[in-house]
Amino acid sequence: MDPFESIKQTFFQECDELLTDAEQGLLAMEAGDADGETINAVFRAVHSVKGGAGAFGLEDLIRFAHVFETVMDDLRSGKMELTDEVAKTLLRAIDVLADHVAAARDGGAVDEGRSAPILSEMKALIGGEGLDDDDLGGDEDFGFVPMTVAIEGDDAPAFDPPALDESPAAFEPMADLAAEPASGARVWRIGFAPKSEMYAKANESGLVLRELARLGEMDVKLDADALPPLDQLSAETAYLHWTVLLTTEADEATIREVFEFVEDDCVLTIEPADGQASPPPPSSDLSDDALAAASADAPLDIAALLARVAGEAPTSEAAREPASAPEPPADLDVAALIAKAQAPIAPAAPKVEAAPVAKAAPPAGSSQAITPTATIRVDLDRVDRLINAVGELVIQQAMLSQQVMESGLARSSNVALGLEDLELLTREIQDSVMAIRAQPVKSVFQRMPRLAREVADMTGKRVKLVMEGEGTEVDKTVIERLTDPITHMLRNAIDHGLEDPEGRIAAGKPAEGVVRLRALHRGGRIVIELQDDGRGINRPRVRGIAVERGLISEDAVLSDEEIDNLIFQPGFSTAETISDISGRGVGMDVVRRSIQGLGGRITISSEPGKGSKFTMSLPLTLAVLDGMVVTAAEQTLVAPLSAIIESLTPRAEDVHFVGGKDAVIRIRETFVPLIDVGVALGFRETALPPGQGVAVLVESEGGGKAALLVEAIQGQRQVVIKSLEANYQQIDGIAAATILGDGRVALILDVDALVTTQHRRKPAPRAEKRMAG
Amino acid sequence: MSKTVLTIDDSRTMREMLNHALVQAGYTVIQAVDGIEGLEVLKANGADVVITDINMPRLDGFGVIEGVRANPDHRATPILVLTTESDAAKKERARAAGATGWIVKPFNPVKLVEAVRRVAA
Amino acid sequence: MSELAVTAQVSLPPVLDLQAAEPLRAELMALRGRPMALDASQVTRLGGLCLQVLMSARKIWVEDGVCLTVDQPSSGFSEQLAAFGGPELQFQPEGGLS
Repeated sequence: MDPFESIKQTFFQECDELLTDAEQGLLAMEAGDADGETINAVFRAVHSVKGGAGAFGLEDLIRFAHVFETVMDDLRSGKMELTDEVAKTLLRAIDVLADHVAAARDGGAVDEGRSAPILSEMKALIGGEGLDDDDLGGDEDFGFVPMTVAIEGDDAPAFDPPALDESPAAFEPMADLAAEPASGARVWRIGFAPKSEMYAKANESGLVLRELARLGEMDVKLDADALPPLDQLSAETAYLHWTVLLTTEADEATIREVFEFVEDDCVLTIEPADGQASPPPPSSDLSDDALAAASADAPLDIAALLARVAGEAPTSEAAREPASAPEPPADLDVAALIAKAQAPIAPAAPKVEAAPVAKAAPPAGSSQAITPTATIRVDLDRVDRLINAVGELVIQQAMLSQQVMESGLARSSNVALGLEDLELLTREIQDSVMAIRAQPVKSVFQRMPRLAREVADMTGKRVKLVMEGEGTEVDKTVIERLTDPITHMLRNAIDHGLEDPEGRIAAGKPAEGVVRLRALHRGGRIVIELQDDGRGINRPRVRGIAVERGLISEDAVLSDEEIDNLIFQPGFSTAETISDISGRGVGMDVVRRSIQGLGGRITISSEPGKGSKFTMSLPLTLAVLDGMVVTAAEQTLVAPLSAIIESLTPRAEDVHFVGGKDAVIRIRETFVPLIDVGVALGFRETALPPGQGVAVLVESEGGGKAALLVEAIQGQRQVVIKSLEANYQQIDGIAAATILGDGRVALILDVDALVTTQHRRKPAPRAEKRMAG
Repeated sequence: MSKTVLTIDDSRTMREMLNHALVQAGYTVIQAVDGIEGLEVLKANGADVVITDINMPRLDGFGVIEGVRANPDHRATPILVLTTESDAAKKERARAAGATGWIVKPFNPVKLVEAVRRVAA
Repeated sequence: MSELAVTAQVSLPPVLDLQAAEPLRAELMALRGRPMALDASQVTRLGGLCLQVLMSARKIWVEDGVCLTVDQPSSGFSEQLAAFGGPELQFQPEGGLS
């Protein structure tokens, strides 16, 4: 890739990290637990965004970041007090800053209606402080340097080809020079008297003279008058002075630039000494140096300069480089110049040897960490391949074990014992490998504060989002699919759950609502809770709507919990008007579906007037599954253990047919639909006769129960999930496949799809009512 | 032999830019992400030139300059600070602490390489 | 007396920078009064402060009338010395041994 683009990508990646860090710092500031280092860290983050933006000439971003940075600077210096209002402004500002970054990255524009007011607010905070647009434009800090071009050298044309094309005029002086090289040569007398401070700062008179020599022909006179004999000498005191007669095309500013770093630590005089001007050097003597230096400000020169530097830097022990130009440039067109520039670079540029201590890793998230944990970056594909291979290993190991058992070897035999060890080891490898891909949910959680602020803004609610357990780890495949459900639930909690400030005050609550988002591990799964302190579920209303929409019958007897969970039913939405926030035709049923798709479940508990709590529970990985292996119509199938409540042998007298057709089974005092899995999946036409087989009682994610009728249960085991999508089309009722120990492919049941398909295909009001009760 | 430049900057973007420009110009580049790491790396590896940012976590650029100069092995190691035109006060403070020179951000790759060459013996 | 003294051999270090100046001064001072041969074959870098030490040493050696030579200068040493204006570093007392 073009290195410029590649660095730019790094910049945008880094911006994401910086913005996240800054936001967290600002949240801490808002919460009142920010110390000086927190404010400093936010300052640095915004400063870095500005710095990178400067390098890429992203003007809008620079302007905004600059004002932001100034506010942070005032805060950290104590010039400005950190009030709640300031923190809130900055929190909104960080969102707009993120918009600016996104706009710079994606080429869009930032909504001025959002950006401008915040910018004004921030300017008001710092009292305008020389931050008028005019001042901004004039400030070098902003990188309107056209030279973001040419770091490039090996891949012509340089960084920014248009910049080269746009300034054809830059060639002209050089062409002139080539034709008439001596036109501007002058002689300068330079007096250079270093002070001791100059040497103390690791500047070196020899290097200054070397640089000067690059500009032209030099005659150097050393003045040692002040030098004492050795017994009176102080080794680090400067005594020597130099007077240099320099014949050069360069102007005074260019000469002075050589002394840029030492000017304050030496006595320097530069004056024309043209009276003794030597005859101009013949054109063959004109060095590249003179050529380049003469037009040092011309953009096109970069290539030539760089080439020169590249050729010299690694071996520049020798101070002087007498005019040793190759043949004089005959044809100064762009291509020739670039080609010329490239020639010395190619051999000179060494391999990138950042190696032994180079750290590509971003600064450790926690600034107090003294020794950052060593990390490496690995292509995700490689990890995925490893996980797949380990999956195969698990299967092979299971197959081997099974074959050994079937061969009749005693359990105490060495082979069997060795296999047991192998199994333990395999499991350990599997766990370790899965841990590689595990990530903290932080990456998902960190997007939520902004969302909360936006939703609050749009709905006129006031909300404080409190997050816990961001460090909880879960497999990357799960992480990626957590964002949507959490986003939706959070919107819902603010839009529907929380009352508006007036309503809350009327209800005796603080005007600001609190939403808690929490992640934790529980029972080998990850649990995500989203709790609000709003009005809670309005059960009579939910029930009314459910009846109205035909989801339940009017006389259905439902527990509070069952009523609450009705909101997950397809087609249910309590919002009377489809708002911009939670609307979009998406209801909680979609959330539930997507969580079920991950092998998870979601439930709600609510207390009227006090708030609601959504609880999602998900497997830690989508790569393995604890399942119950069953047989149906001679097929081996796997039912996810998480969905199974119990298994039982149905007695013929417990099975009833609703409307003479749809089977239900009585389990203790309730009836639940009895689904013949073989029939439901189309493996056979007719159902097992009543009283045969085994019924597996399952609970779908919405809380609906059903009994799955299969021929036999083979046992429980952990299986490695193979996605069906790659090889087969999606089959209703089947979630995925796996390979068992004996080498057979087994399909993994999509319990929820089976249960809901049954409902849709065969509406059975009575059964449903029973089910509900 | 190729000269070694140690770059100390907490911004990955800036480190990459520095790395790219310097490697193009034939230098070997080693990187550190903050002042503490920079001093450790310098101690372990040495460097012909040190380029350091000012605003960094853990130990800032001033701390780096003081740390380098306090090490008897590196009193003569040139240090360039990354600074901005508007930050005259910081530049002065860096100079007083012993910085050899400075590079104005956003840096121009040619000027960067020139600055390094100017101080690298 | 100079005829009697054994010539002191001093091998100059490769890098003659700020850090090398004071050690070099001390080393040369300790050899005051003896003919001295500076081996400059290893020098890759000659800085202004060490140049001062060498020139200042020459003053003393001249004062004492003792022989001072720079032997086998490396190309780096010679070039950098020339860039400084090419001061004289050696001293051969009249009638002294070479």
